[in-house]
Amino acid sequence: MKIALFIPCLVNQMMPDVAIATLSLLEKLGHQVIFPQGQTCCGQPMTNSGCFNEARNTTLKLLNAFKGVECDAIVCPAASCLVAAKENFHEFDKSQAAQDVIDKLYELTEFLHDIAPIASFKYKFEHTISLQMSCHGLRMLNLATPSESMGPQFNKVEAILQNIPGINIVYPAPRDECCGFGGTFAVDEGAVSAKMGKDKAHTHAATHAQYVVGFDPSCLLHLDGMIRRQLLPIQTRHIAQIIDAAL
Amino acid sequence: MNQSNQYQSTSHADNAAIFCRDENRVDWHSKALWNLREKRDKAAASVPEWEQLRQLGSEIKLHTLSHLGDYLCQFEQKCIENGIQVHWAKDASEHNEIALKILSVHAVKKLVKSKSMLTEECHLNPFLEKHGIEVIDTDLGERIIQLNNQPPSHIVVPAIHMKKEEVGELFHQKLNTPKGESDPTRLTRAARKHLHDQFLSADAAMTGVNIAIADLGAVVVCTNEGNADMGVNLPKLQIHSMGIDKIVPDAQSAMVLLRILARNAIGQPITTYSSFYRGGKVDGEMHIIIVDNGRTDIMQDKILAESLKCIRCGGCLNTCPVYRRSGGFSYNYTIPGPIGIAVGAQHDESNTIPWACTLCGSCSYVCPTKVPLDKIIAHHRRLKAEQGKLPFGKKYYMPAVGKLMSSPTLLNCAMGSARLALKVLPHSLITPFSGAWGQYRELPVSPKSSFDTWYKQHKASNKEAK
Ligand code: SF4
Repeated sequence: MKIALFIPCLVNQMMPDVAIATLSLLEKLGHQVIFPQGQTCCGQPMTNSGCFNEARNTTLKLLNAFKGVECDAIVCPAASCLVAAKENFHEFDKSQAAQDVIDKLYELTEFLHDIAPIASFKYKFEHTISLQMSCHGLRMLNLATPSESMGPQFNKVEAILQNIPGINIVYPAPRDECCGFGGTFAVDEGAVSAKMGKDKAHTHAATHAQYVVGFDPSCLLHLDGMIRRQLLPIQTRHIAQIIDAAL
Repeated sequence: MNQSNQYQSTSHADNAAIFCRDENRVDWHSKALWNLREKRDKAAASVPEWEQLRQLGSEIKLHTLSHLGDYLCQFEQKCIENGIQVHWAKDASEHNEIALKILSVHAVKKLVKSKSMLTEECHLNPFLEKHGIEVIDTDLGERIIQLNNQPPSHIVVPAIHMKKEEVGELFHQKLNTPKGESDPTRLTRAARKHLHDQFLSADAAMTGVNIAIADLGAVVVCTNEGNADMGVNLPKLQIHSMGIDKIVPDAQSAMVLLRILARNAIGQPITTYSSFYRGGKVDGEMHIIIVDNGRTDIMQDKILAESLKCIRCGGCLNTCPVYRRSGGFSYNYTIPGPIGIAVGAQHDESNTIPWACTLCGSCSYVCPTKVPLDKIIAHHRRLKAEQGKLPFGKKYYMPAVGKLMSSPTLLNCAMGSARLALKVLPHSLITPFSGAWGQYRELPVSPKSSFDTWYKQHKASNKEAK
């Protein structure tokens, strides 16, 4: 398939390795990958704060970077940015051209599970990983059944990763409580955010996994800062990095 | 001990920071509430049709809210046929005046009340006490905080913020229990004896209403301790206060809500006492006060209106990671937690409570009537922004952020220097400048370059290789 990468500003600037791994794994899977220029922020920091006027320009710039780009899918390795982009594109541009872009937007896990599943992995990954089920991917993109929901259960993240030979997947307890990042929440409500992050970092470490693995770079960045401050024996990795290493 | 009084500031973040100073207490509070969430999960999982029940609960409430006038009229008419006296109150003060008038006609000196968030919302207790009527809250948790001179910190377990040792000390002072007693059973026995005396000497009883049934002209009151029934069945006068949102069409709808209410609240199949009242006692009088108090205003906004589907189970508080770590008194509103933000943000003069939330969405998935709490909270932020009431200096810095984020060049520049600063400055030097982030976390390890730059170089070298 022909895939356009959507690399949110945080990943572009602070976690380029996640973007590189995403590009690499999609190419290994045989896709043709392009990276449209002119991408900016999805507007989430502003719309999450209620500031829709301030979000309009940046959102429309990002949308423009994808309008008219010929591709089968637009793939993004950051769940909460993807959710925000979808909502904000819709909020600020009701045209068919905008809808065409929205219809092609996929979060990486979503894409690798629903659209172009991975047939097999080449390399072993003989480590225990503790999955970070971040809120927006979980509850807004339905990447897995949230622990609040009853009835049939599914988990796309686990479904993809469990096929990697040698991998051992565990969860912190509670399994999917918010890590406390929440964008500007981390600074507006510093004390509570820090306590949530600290608790989350400790519950991941308590699983004795080597890695905390997740699909949302912002949560991982927050957890990483917490883990290093708390001197915990665990490291953060993005799902793209694990998959890329095993392909 | 009286935590509600230690909060001088009105900002949720400041109050929460004070609560967070005692980390052991935060852990204990968080765990106590998470236990309820776990019990709820077990109870919900034991009902195979749980998710269908939630859907049904949501639809019943939505249907009734969209035909509210009709159902309220039918309810009033049926009540009158049943010999109940119906009163309408447009706001809290009208509600209190009506209650006072009924009580005065009967020369009531002592009123026993069973738990009602509506009377809390109307601040009925201080109002009646000012007029010389003694009000005794009879729900155990409510009585504890009443003796402690505090408002509830949770809508279902109002004294959840107090440890059993603290209750023991309080009872020692107020009810003469032995000093140092902290055994819950013995403390409960002492409270029961104390409350018995109150029930026997009361002149009137008042309760809240969990559900009002239009075609029966009846109200349903749920308690685990039977205190509403003790109250209602002893004196001749009974009064029930309800919000207009409590109405459902028929008994079948009420059954759906009864199946989800207690399960979602504390993991119990049903509340121990779910009493239907549809008329006064022989020689007695039954009154119902139907209260608006801002609810029709809320209904004017399509998104906010869905908050009226709430059946006050407290499930969203128990799951909320912010509520559990900031305590019920940090919200500056009678109702704390996600639903408190949803229905209380308009009254919040500090304009901070809509931001006391990470928008994780757990509450919306826990809610048995599918109140879209995270959407409502996000909407409140937008409303505050439109009214120019943004907290945390957002009004001033957001336009700059907007400008920065919309320009790839500016963004590259800013982030480039941020990366550089992270690399060359010792952390001890930049940590104080990075605000709350650096106070609690290590700053990110700086990457060599942005993906943008890497991609351009990578592509160039790829081309050369070809
Ligand atoms: S909003 Fe939902 S979960 Fe929260 S108290 Fe109301 S009914 Fe319960």
